[in-house]
Amino acid sequence: MRVAVAGNPNVGKTSLFNQLTGARHSVGNYPGMTVEQREGTLASRWGDARYQIIDLPGTYSLSPVSEDEAVAFRCLHGGPGISPPDAVVLVLDATNLARNLYFALQVLELGLPTVVALNMVDAAKQAGLHIDAAALEKALGVRVVPTVARTGTGVDALVEALADPGPGPTLDYPDVAAETLAKLEEHGASPARARWLLCSEAADTVALTGATEAESSALASIGRDVCWVAARSIIAARYDRVEGLLRTLALGDALESAPAMKGSERVDAVLTHPVLGLAAFIAAMALVFVSIYSWADPLVGLIEDAFDGLSGAITEALGPGLLTELLTDGLIAGVGNVLVFVPQIAMLFLFLGLLEDSGYLARAAFLLDRLMSRLGLHGRAFIPLLSGYACAIPAIMGTRTISSWKDRVVTMLMIPYMSCSARLPIYALIIGALFVSTPDDAWISPSVDRGLLLLSMYLLSTVSALAIGYLYKRTILASPTPPLVLELPPYRVPRLRNTLSVVMDKTLAFIKGAGTVILAFTIVLWAVLSFPRDETGAGGEGPTKIEASYGGRVAKSMEPLVEPIGQDWRVGIGILGSFAAREVLVSTLGLAYGMEADDEDPVQLRQAMREDVDEAGNPVHTRLSGLALMVFFVYACQCMSTVAVVKRETRGWKWPAFMFVSMTVIAYVAALLVFQIGRALGF
Amino acid sequence: MTGYARRRMLRAMLSAATLQVGESGLVDDVDGTDTTALRLLEMGLVSGTSITLIKAAPTGDPLQFRVRGFHLSLRKAEAHRVRLQKASE
Repeated sequence: MRVAVAGNPNVGKTSLFNQLTGARHSVGNYPGMTVEQREGTLASRWGDARYQIIDLPGTYSLSPVSEDEAVAFRCLHGGPGISPPDAVVLVLDATNLARNLYFALQVLELGLPTVVALNMVDAAKQAGLHIDAAALEKALGVRVVPTVARTGTGVDALVEALADPGPGPTLDYPDVAAETLAKLEEHGASPARARWLLCSEAADTVALTGATEAESSALASIGRDVCWVAARSIIAARYDRVEGLLRTLALGDALESAPAMKGSERVDAVLTHPVLGLAAFIAAMALVFVSIYSWADPLVGLIEDAFDGLSGAITEALGPGLLTELLTDGLIAGVGNVLVFVPQIAMLFLFLGLLEDSGYLARAAFLLDRLMSRLGLHGRAFIPLLSGYACAIPAIMGTRTISSWKDRVVTMLMIPYMSCSARLPIYALIIGALFVSTPDDAWISPSVDRGLLLLSMYLLSTVSALAIGYLYKRTILASPTPPLVLELPPYRVPRLRNTLSVVMDKTLAFIKGAGTVILAFTIVLWAVLSFPRDETGAGGEGPTKIEASYGGRVAKSMEPLVEPIGQDWRVGIGILGSFAAREVLVSTLGLAYGMEADDEDPVQLRQAMREDVDEAGNPVHTRLSGLALMVFFVYACQCMSTVAVVKRETRGWKWPAFMFVSMTVIAYVAALLVFQIGRALGF
Repeated sequence: MTGYARRRMLRAMLSAATLQVGESGLVDDVDGTDTTALRLLEMGLVSGTSITLIKAAPTGDPLQFRVRGFHLSLRKAEAHRVRLQKASE
């Protein structure tokens, strides 16, 4: 038996799904859509009943306004290739019936066997709301079970009710838009589907519905104006019915003052206060970032050490050779390159999940919407953008909260411009190698100068990201600023268990979806930088191994290309190698100089770069060339993991290819301008 | 009619965006025929619904309303489309 769990957002649907399935579930994508769908089987503690539980996206309505609603309706109603579920668990928030009942009516209109989980009855009681479940059962004509999904109260009774949900309800609105609806029902649409299609024509979203040709032409012949009149009267009829139900439950006036929001209003007095609210937001974000740096970093270190250890052990066991190098520098390094992101992804989604669950993310969107709407984006786009400072990978995965597809792509394209933590070792290397000043020739003081230089790189990246977003939003991905119709849900204590299950899903999705691409890139890159093999014996004065490789040869032959931006072939190899991950520039550059460079404190490398001179005795690396290189790395998409994750999120190579090419071109041009203008000015 | 009542009446002819903090009004209709209009209607902003402005965001936009027992945030641009009934006083 297939059971669909439907409900508004923030009604405890996830908690209930986890209770029903014991959190054993799989995440899939609804065919052809970016909407995720979770499925699981009923937990074994209820015997061996073979229930397949499907978690629908949480929506406020079933009318197809965005993909979420379209998926939810098609899942419930069925259609070509999709059979409707055998039963529906309709989750209603007992504290918020005035709005929840609208969605409930839409579900009941489908006529499927339905059991209502009247959830959060504890919170309703606290707010002084008495909901008569028996009266609601009678009024709706389906079983109603009071539950508290967080604690599991009432879930047994819900499962029991599911065994015999009874017949589907019959709910209709005679005489409401009857003539218009009849024109659609002629083409075989059920009354529920006819109402759904009407609303889609009114909202101009027929494309989301998968309407048949006959239905589309019927809609076109009815015309949008008539559809709008019909849609308005249908919505009004449903809300009339809701008012009637509330009167039956004697709740008519009790809900007017939003009793369940009283506590939240007091919290909001601080958290959305003009001064305190912004201070609290900055504090919350600072906490998230400091934690990502200070808690994820040791884990990242552990993973790196473990893989280094593994490589060492294999080298020792197998001795030097091609197979050893393939295993250590290709395969193990590749797996390491994938897993190294796991702590940051897990940490970011843990925080985002807890903030979302608590109701705070909606407030953050409320606080920052003005800023984002100037760009043409939704307030929800702010957090993923900000996360880009830590790492683009989880940030890009975090764009899923943005409902408009075009806006999601705009945000994804903006994120890699934010200076992520992997750029820091590069800035540090260049500033440390080339911007050494004595107190005498310093502008303010040596350390302040360097700090300001670093800050200016971050500023440049931020301004560039915003400018790119502004540009794309008005050109290739032009769409109107999405409206803000945002519920500010009551604050609730987040459930760690629910959040951890989401963290698990996201992490596995990353490993499965982007992992293979990252692994493949690492092995290819290893091959490019180690073949053909130099069998003459390393060391001595001859060219370094990496110089003789295909990658080295390409870099040398491409020297004329990097010369105009003030770089030599060594940096060319470094740029090539750093495609694995930006910070690899440091170790690749080290190899090009024939040394083992320590990522953390490459003293030798800094000195070698500083003292490197060309045939005429002029320094190869100057402050100007260093600045050009830093600017190059501000813009360049030197991160295959970003490319891989964008490929996974956009389901194709179009956007990652565009991103890589455009960023590389911008990086080159920017570095070229810096170097050439700088030289013309005599620096 | 006092000046205050007159201003109040004029405002009442306008929209949810012209409410003062703490002030309530009754929805008359939602302007427009697009996705946003449908969404506003479906969130419960149908004729006769009571709507109260609770506060504005630090920058003055968006606004936070209480409607049908829950809190809803709308930008001024959207709130302007929620026309209110003429005050009955």
